[in-house]
Formats: sequence, structure tokens, C-alpha cells
Amino acid sequence: MSIAINTQQRSDTLARSSVRTLLFILKARAVFVLLALLILFSILAPSFLTSNNFAILSKHVAISAVLAVGMTFVVLTGGIDLSVGSLAGLGGMVAGYLLTHGILFLGVVHYPPVAAAVLMTLAVCIVVGLLNGWLVAKAGVAPFIATLGTLYIARGAALLLSNGKTFPNLAGQELRGNMGFPHLGQGAFVGIPVPVWIMLALFALAWFIAVKTPLGRHIYAVGGNERAARLAGIRVPRVKIFAYVASSICAALVGLIIASQLEAAHPATGESFELNAIAAVVLGGTSLMGGRGSISGSLIGAFVIGVLSDGLVMLGVSEFWQMVIKGTVIVLAVAVDQLQSRLQSKFLPYLQSAEGQG
Amino acid sequence: MRELASEIVLEARAITKRYPGTLALDRATLQIHRNKVNVLIGENGAGKSTLMRILAGVEMADEGSLLLDGAPIRVRSPREAAAHGISIVHQELSVLQNLDISENVFAGREPTHGVILLDRQTEDHRSAQALATLRKPMPVRTTTAQLSLGNRQIVEIARTLDQGARVLILDEPTSALSTTETESLFRVIGDLKSSGVTIVYISHRLHELLHLGEWFTVLRSGRVVGQAPRADVSREWIVERMSGRVVTRVAVDRSAPAKGPVLLSAKSLTLGSSGAEEATQAPLHQVSFDLHRGEILGIYGLLGAGRSELLESLAGARRLLAGSIVIHGKKINLSAVSDAVDHGIVLVPEDRQRDGLIPEMSIRENIKIGSMHGLFVSRRQQLLQVQGLAKELNISVKDLELPVLSLSGGNQQKVLIARCLMRNPSLLLLDEPTRGVDVGAKGEIYLILRKLADQGIGILFASSEIEETRALADRALVLCQGRLSGEFLHDAITDTALFAAASPVINTMPTSLSGVSLA
Repeated sequence: MSIAINTQQRSDTLARSSVRTLLFILKARAVFVLLALLILFSILAPSFLTSNNFAILSKHVAISAVLAVGMTFVVLTGGIDLSVGSLAGLGGMVAGYLLTHGILFLGVVHYPPVAAAVLMTLAVCIVVGLLNGWLVAKAGVAPFIATLGTLYIARGAALLLSNGKTFPNLAGQELRGNMGFPHLGQGAFVGIPVPVWIMLALFALAWFIAVKTPLGRHIYAVGGNERAARLAGIRVPRVKIFAYVASSICAALVGLIIASQLEAAHPATGESFELNAIAAVVLGGTSLMGGRGSISGSLIGAFVIGVLSDGLVMLGVSEFWQMVIKGTVIVLAVAVDQLQSRLQSKFLPYLQSAEGQG
Repeated sequence: MRELASEIVLEARAITKRYPGTLALDRATLQIHRNKVNVLIGENGAGKSTLMRILAGVEMADEGSLLLDGAPIRVRSPREAAAHGISIVHQELSVLQNLDISENVFAGREPTHGVILLDRQTEDHRSAQALATLRKPMPVRTTTAQLSLGNRQIVEIARTLDQGARVLILDEPTSALSTTETESLFRVIGDLKSSGVTIVYISHRLHELLHLGEWFTVLRSGRVVGQAPRADVSREWIVERMSGRVVTRVAVDRSAPAKGPVLLSAKSLTLGSSGAEEATQAPLHQVSFDLHRGEILGIYGLLGAGRSELLESLAGARRLLAGSIVIHGKKINLSAVSDAVDHGIVLVPEDRQRDGLIPEMSIRENIKIGSMHGLFVSRRQQLLQVQGLAKELNISVKDLELPVLSLSGGNQQKVLIARCLMRNPSLLLLDEPTRGVDVGAKGEIYLILRKLADQGIGILFASSEIEETRALADRALVLCQGRLSGEFLHDAITDTALFAAASPVINTMPTSLSGVSLA
């Protein structure tokens, strides 16, 4: 081999590694954006980097992150779940109703203990999730329309439960044996707020399902090519129903956390939360076409949105500007996503041929 | 095992299948001979694919029974079919492009540690083993979106192999493959056969069938109209049974090759390469040629040679890196498809279903779309025009308001040609003019194109079939890896000449570059 070829090879290797670095930065852009935001806000707002602020921040993030985890499953199958915000509202109201009015059974009012009330709330939301899944997977309704319908149904049901009023004082009464509901949203374990624990546990579980189980594989398969998944013997309807049920469970948890934090359930809770969740999922690099994306990406996406809005509040940026900025970030994120996949496909043969030659 | 029945491994007995409005299969009985290449032939809509989908459990028969080794079986899903050792590789490959090879090989039947934990090691190991058996070792963690069509097909075959397929159905496996890929598929089929697998092979390409097949079954209108071993089969035997009429060879009158003036002059067309997820774009290097009025010019090349890219560049669907296009003596700049249409250049795309037809619309709407100018359109006038074209192109249909998908492949292709003619083109581009079109309609389309050329339209078509190039072209250009590698007048178009010109010169470079050269 002559020296000329060696130089040629070296400059090639250099070019390849810089292409790789560029692609890596684009791929992990959510992490970089998050870091940039953290640095920016800690410089601009001195109180930003305090542990007190972080406790508040992480609670805010937990709410959109929990919704985003469920939403990721749905989006990975190629669907979308618009009903999660309303469902969170309904969840809070069901819990509020049970703690306030109890259940009339055989002429006697029974007050379920907190654990039972929580389980019943989850059950109600799971029914709605099953409805979503059935509509999409079996009845063939487009996900956007099906969940738009259940968005209204759930919101209406939440308003009907109290005739539009708030259920106050959900701390429970000793006489009724239903004390302890506020722990869910306000309590802490090892110094970390319970909602954050819920978020972490849910994230771990969802990551495990997505990466380590056949079910997760099937979710990606259905989103990637539904027909091919069906022909491969994957039970497509089941997979989709699972995704919508998972999303509804996440929504129920969010409703419970908020009601517990406020010790009150308001029927309008959770309005437009679905949009935050979708934004987090998209920021995290999950494709709305399905089949591509990750749970951890959505978690980071939720952090980006949470840090952004809390930081802007601390800087005293007007609420109206906050909306403009948030929208800009989301649009930019998707534009960069397109750029990344274009660059990736452009450089792919280039990088591959490098690997082919060793 | 039964000695008597041992010749027949799988039998579909008296299968009937109805769809709304049509009888797809009418008491069809198919016998699949053990350890042979069983060939199934028929025109489009004859019921081949339906029959195969029933065998593979994708659909259920309305009447009739399936017998495996003489014993009746029930097949209600692809899973059950696979459990009986019946696997299918579908015509439209059903690879999950967002997953890697071993994930594809095991999709829907993943091995696990315990109940839920995926066992990637086993997956990777067995996938690699299957690929090795097929003599196509590839890194099993490669995303299938990055593979060539031929290799994606190998992944599907590897899947059936790992499932322990005893009967492997290949539905038009070569329709998207290049000649080299086809040859390597034939080697794979040979290997599989010698390891005891029975093959069921469906194709439109007669020369492939005659080369490969050992037992022939012909379907027509949902009925089996002939079966015979290879020794008793000839090209004429097949075509007669397929079409139900005695064949007259498609002979196109080429008596007047009067060359008109130059219509199109392409100089040094150059296109960059890219490896997008869906379609890898092959590059073009300095492609120059002239096309005369009234001439039919064919472009032959293997997969990835740049045939479609060349046509799509001329149609304004791809941006050229360099080069000039002169039409009617005027240099033009194509930055969008509408520019090309304005200059009288229209394209009939390769993939009708994806790039051509609008499935929800009627035949009339499909023809007229794209030729609507002005705010108000005279419906009556347009209807007359559409009716005239439909008649001229012999689109056999009673009602132009029927959905376009109710037509056969040949008629769908004519609908697309009619759409192009609505725009009064001076240059008609066709990418694979008769892909998925049956023999009868093929000849008809050739005649139509010849008639159009005689009217002074220039016709440029790309084809991966030598037979087609020979039957249709006045002159043929051969592309090889984006470069013009040969030009042949009609009389000089022969199998060997085209093929030699189209094959890249392979000497020292390993094939792992997969044909994508770097710019």
C-alpha cells in the first residue's frame, strides 16, 4: 500500500467519525437541549438550582412524564390518545366521589378505604382504555377520532359526577376510615416525593416491557408495518388494546396524583394535558407514524417541557410568551427529527461501506 | 407414513372462495408434490394468490378441505399454518423495516427466558444459522430497512426455515429482483429442495417457470385447467391454458421505422446517490442520449442500475445534480413534476398501486385527475374525452364509475396510460410498462404504445425484462450502475448482448459494497 492511499484512508476515517458524531448529537438532541436549558436557567435564575426548586420541578415533570410513558406505547403502535387529559380529570373525580359520597349498597353507604378507592378509579379508567382499544383495533375507528370521542365522554362523565362542582376536603375522615389519600401526591419516601417514585417505577416497568418482552417487540412491529405484523402471526388487536389500556392507567394515576396534591377533585382537571404528553413523546424522538422511538426519549422529552415551563415562570416570562416559546421548541424538535432521518439515510451507505471494509 | 399418498404432500381439495361480486376460486383442487418445485400459473385474477393465502392461513376457504399427508387439517391463521409446516413469502414482502434481522426472523414467535423475558441470544444464534444455511451470512442486528430487496426476501425465507417449513410458498418472488438476485434465489431454492423442502412457486415469468418448475398447475378464473410434469409442458401449452385461447405470438409491426426529428436530447445527466429508508436512490453518471419522435426507446438494466431514477429525473420527480435536457430544441429546467408536464413529459410509474392510482376513486376520476384546468370543468366534455380514450385503449369495462381497483392489472395500467394521454404528451415515460400484467393484456399494451409512437409521440420505457425490451423497443439503451453501458438497435437486442452489457464487471472488489458506489 502506498502512502497516498493511507492518507486517503485516514481522511476518510476522519470524515466518517465526524459524520458519526454529528448523527449522534442529532440523535441525542433531547439530552443536549435539556442540559442547555438547565445551564441557561441556572445562570439566569439563581434560585433555579436549589433542591427546593428541584422538588417542585420534579413533581411537575412527573405528571407529564407519567402521561408520556403511556402515550409512547400508543404512538409506537401508530396511534394517538387524545383522551388522557379528560381521563385524568375523570380519574380524580371518581376518587373524589368515592371518598366524599361512598357507595350506596343495600341501603347503606359504604366508604371504601383509600386503597380500594384508588383501585376502583383505576378500574373505571381501564374500562375507558379498553373502549379506546376496542374502537381502534376492532371497530376500525381512526385513533384520532376514537379518542377524541372518549375525550368528550370522559370529560362529560367527570362533570356529571358532581354536577360540575368540585369535591373538596379529600383528606378523609377517621370515622369513615378513609384517611390517607393526600400521601399519594404530597408524601415523600427517602426524601423523594411519591409522584416521582411513581414516575420512576412506571418508567422502569414501561422500559422493561418495551425492550425486554415479546409484547414490546410486537408494539414496534405493529407500528412499523401492521400488515406484516399480522402476517407474522402477531395478534395486532391485542397489542393495540394493551397500548390504550396502558395509556389509560397512566392517565388515572395522574388524575389521582393531582387530586391528592390539591386534596380536591375538580372536573376540569387535566385539560390539554394530552397535548403536553404528545409534545413530550415527539420531543423524545418518537415518530408519530409509529414503529420508531423509545420510552427513555419520552421521559427526557417530559423533562425538557417541564424545565422549560418552570424556568420561564421563574424568569417571570409572561404566560403568553411561554406558550409561544413552547410551541417553537416543539416545531423545531420535529424539524430536527426530519433533518436527522434525512442525514442518516444519506450517510448510511457511506458508514456501512466503512464497516464492510472493516 | 402412507406409501400411496407419499407423492402428494399437501392437497387443497375442491376449494371455493367467494368475494362480494366474484367467485375467486371455484372448486379448485391443487396437489402439491413432495420435494418438487410446484409451479402455479395463471393470469391476474385467476385465483393463484387467493389459493395460496388459504393454504397459508391468511384467509379461510368457504368450501373445500386441506389435506396434509392425506390427513385433513384445519388452517385458520398464519400461526396454525406454520405449525403444520406451511409457510409463505408474500408477493409484497412483509418485512418489518423498523426491526433488525433476527427480530424479523422471530416476529410473533419470540423465544423467552421464563415467561416474558426475551431471549436475544437464541434469536441471534438461530437467525445466523438460518442465514448460513441460505448461504447469505449477514450481521443479524442489521435493520432490515438497510437491506436490498433480495436480502429482505432472504430474511423472510430464513424465517420460514427457522419455523421448520416443509412446504414453502413463494408468491411472485422475483418480481422485484434483479437478474443476479434472481439467480441467487434459484440457488437457494435448489438448496432448500435438497434439504427436503417442497416449494410452491408462483410467477408471471414463463422462462423462470420453465427453468425451475417440475410440476405445473394452471389456474384460470378460479379453476384448475391443467396440470402436468415438466416433460409434458411447453411455453405454448402454458399460454394456451392460461388465456383459454390459442396463442398468436405478440408480433408488433415494425415495418416503418421512419425516424422523426430529435424530440428529446439528454446530456450528461448526473444524479447523486442516497440511501433513504424506503427507496435507495441509485446514482447516474453522465448519461446522454437522444430520442426521436415516433421512436420507442427501451432502457434495460438490473436492479439498482438507475432505470427508474433516470425516468423520474426526466419526469421532474428527482432533482438532477448536473446535465441538461433539451426537448423540442429548447433547453428546459425541471424542478417539479408540473414543469415536466408543462413541457409534455408524463410518466407512468412502476408501482401502480403506490404511485399511480387513487384507489378510492372511480375509473373516470382516475383518468381525468391531473388534467383539470381552470376553475370550472365541463363534466360533459370531459366525460366524452374519457370515454373516447377508454374506447381507444380498449379498457374493457361496462361502467366508468366503477372503482378503479375492480379492474385487472392490465386494465389498471391502461387507465394510467389514458391519464397521461389526457395531457396530450409529446414524450411518454413508462417504468416497467407491463409489470403484473397478464400475457394477453401485455400484447395489447405493446400495440397501444406502438400506435402512439406512430402518431408521433416519443416513448421511453424502462424494463428489467429482456423479453419485453426486445418485443417493444426500436432501440435499447443499457444502464449499468448508473452509466450507459450499451446501445442496441432492435435487431441486435438479444438476451446475451443485453445481459452482458448490464452486468457489472466484477473482478477484485468484494460484493459487500452492495452496488452502492460512493460519490
